Amino acid sequence: MAEEVKITQSDLYAAGIFFYSAIPLLKVICESEPKYGDRFKGKSFVFQISALYPEAEGGKMASHFVVEDGKWTTAVGKIHENPDLEFVFPNLKKFIIFFTGKGMPLPKIRGLSKIGLLVPILMALLRMAGLMQKTDKPEKLADQIMLCKLYLYLLPSGISRLNKLGHPDVKTVTDPSPDRAYALVIEGYPELQSWVRMKAGKTMSGRGEYKRCKPFLSMKFKDPSLALDILMSKADMVDYIGNGNLFVDGAPEFGGIVGTLMFKVAYYAQGTYLDIEK
Amino acid sequence: MAGGITFTAVESTKLAPAEIFGKTIAELGAKDPNIVCLSPDLATSTKMGDFLKVYPERFFNVGIAEQNMIGIAAGMAKAGLTPFASCFSVFASLRALDQVHTDICYQNLNVKIIGTHGGTSFGQAGSTHHAIEDIGVVRPLVNMTVIVPADGAETANAVRAAAATPGPFYIRINRGFDNVVYSTQDYGFEVGKAVEMNPGTDITIIACGSCVYQAIQAAKALDFDQKLKVRVLNMHTIKPIDKEAILKAVKETRRIITVEDHTVIGGLGSAVAEVIIESGKACAFKKLGLQDKWSPIGLHEDLMAIHEIDAQGITKNVLEVMKKDFEQDEDWGDEV
Repeated sequence: MAEEVKITQSDLYAAGIFFYSAIPLLKVICESEPKYGDRFKGKSFVFQISALYPEAEGGKMASHFVVEDGKWTTAVGKIHENPDLEFVFPNLKKFIIFFTGKGMPLPKIRGLSKIGLLVPILMALLRMAGLMQKTDKPEKLADQIMLCKLYLYLLPSGISRLNKLGHPDVKTVTDPSPDRAYALVIEGYPELQSWVRMKAGKTMSGRGEYKRCKPFLSMKFKDPSLALDILMSKADMVDYIGNGNLFVDGAPEFGGIVGTLMFKVAYYAQGTYLDIEK
Repeated sequence: MAGGITFTAVESTKLAPAEIFGKTIAELGAKDPNIVCLSPDLATSTKMGDFLKVYPERFFNVGIAEQNMIGIAAGMAKAGLTPFASCFSVFASLRALDQVHTDICYQNLNVKIIGTHGGTSFGQAGSTHHAIEDIGVVRPLVNMTVIVPADGAETANAVRAAAATPGPFYIRINRGFDNVVYSTQDYGFEVGKAVEMNPGTDITIIACGSCVYQAIQAAKALDFDQKLKVRVLNMHTIKPIDKEAILKAVKETRRIITVEDHTVIGGLGSAVAEVIIESGKACAFKKLGLQDKWSPIGLHEDLMAIHEIDAQGITKNVLEVMKKDFEQDEDWGDEV
């Protein structure tokens, strides 16, 4: 039985971003860093993260991973009825507080006995959380690259998720939009690219180079370190454009729109709204 | 690249393209004694008077006989001269077609045909004097280079390039004044290389001749009213066409509109379509021009509006093409 807690519309936006955009990054960690990914070699299992929410179909929200012989696939927003390992949060609020780093309301763990899965999963989750919850950019280039990858994959996906959830500020941009793509690019690192495409209220997001056409606007960072300065709000975007650390390829007046949408994702993903809407 | 200016850019903005042609050919005549001019009793209309005044011995009025003019020009080229033969576009391309085909193109002779009164620019004269098929008629001719300059400055560049390049040229200019697109002749004109007049990734307008100015105005209006970023290409050379610029536009914008003062069959739009089809790339595509019908009689500006090749007509059609779906894109999922 789920605890009685008031779930706000903002909670639903935040939960949407976590289930559909942030949790899938666990797969990115495991695929990018052998230190974490190699622990799953030869293993096949289903891992699920869920939060009880009586209003949802099935009484909870969830995303799960199907790992077959160490190869990961992600099923976002879908409940697996019989996962091998599951972290179950008693309600959406606690789920959000946990993932925003605003507190440590621990989930109930189903499959606790499968220690061979639990430990590497926890390690990968801690690696992801450790990077995402950093307030200063990491010193090592490898960590900077990994954190950039996580941000770049999260932000367009988060924008698209907010649109699909009908967020009015996002819909204001996407509803009247012609078929356009906005890309984030870190030059010299082909894997550090992502994009969100909009067309008459519909959105989709992807990783890597946008190949359908030239993006309507690309924000091109010179290197991972400079990118993190902007992504972690440590530097002024206008200054960086002025000194060439950031090149906006496309109509410059639309750069602000992308920035606003990215901040909107951060507003929910970092739990800023929890403090403001108290 | 063609270069050199013997009259100022300010002057060139006050002159009609045909007048600029007259001045340019006179300038070239001073440098090259092999340049000769021919006219079928149209020296005043086609503005060859400047050349006639300075070099009367190198100017030949063949009488109202366009076919003869082309035949004579071919003979002169065979003898080593560089003839510039000028008459109304409709007569150069249709009445004298057999001579252009066999006497000039078949022998790959160095004759430059300046077709004036192009498109519907001689609007009041009616359909007999509207050149709405000329590009489609001369474009398939082997060895022929076809240029439709956007304004006076580009006309000067095209004429200089033609003089400097061996082989047959067909340069199509309008009657009367064209809106000024270029404030200078030094913008990097090159035969076969389109000029990007406005950047954009939402859609590309590919235009030639007087439609280039209209396309630029449409792009400005669409940016102001709709926040649409419209790429405008001045495709001054219809043959050899700039495939690279077209394919870049297809790849980067995926929506193309062509605009020409010509029937939509056989001209710029067809040339662009050929490139797109051969590439195998899908895009939304529309050809603006005369839709396989005769033009009414009237002022050029009014006729451009009727045929939707003015800024307003282009704007309307851009908005329509922006809504056109041409690919299956029902899967709007996010990559995870």
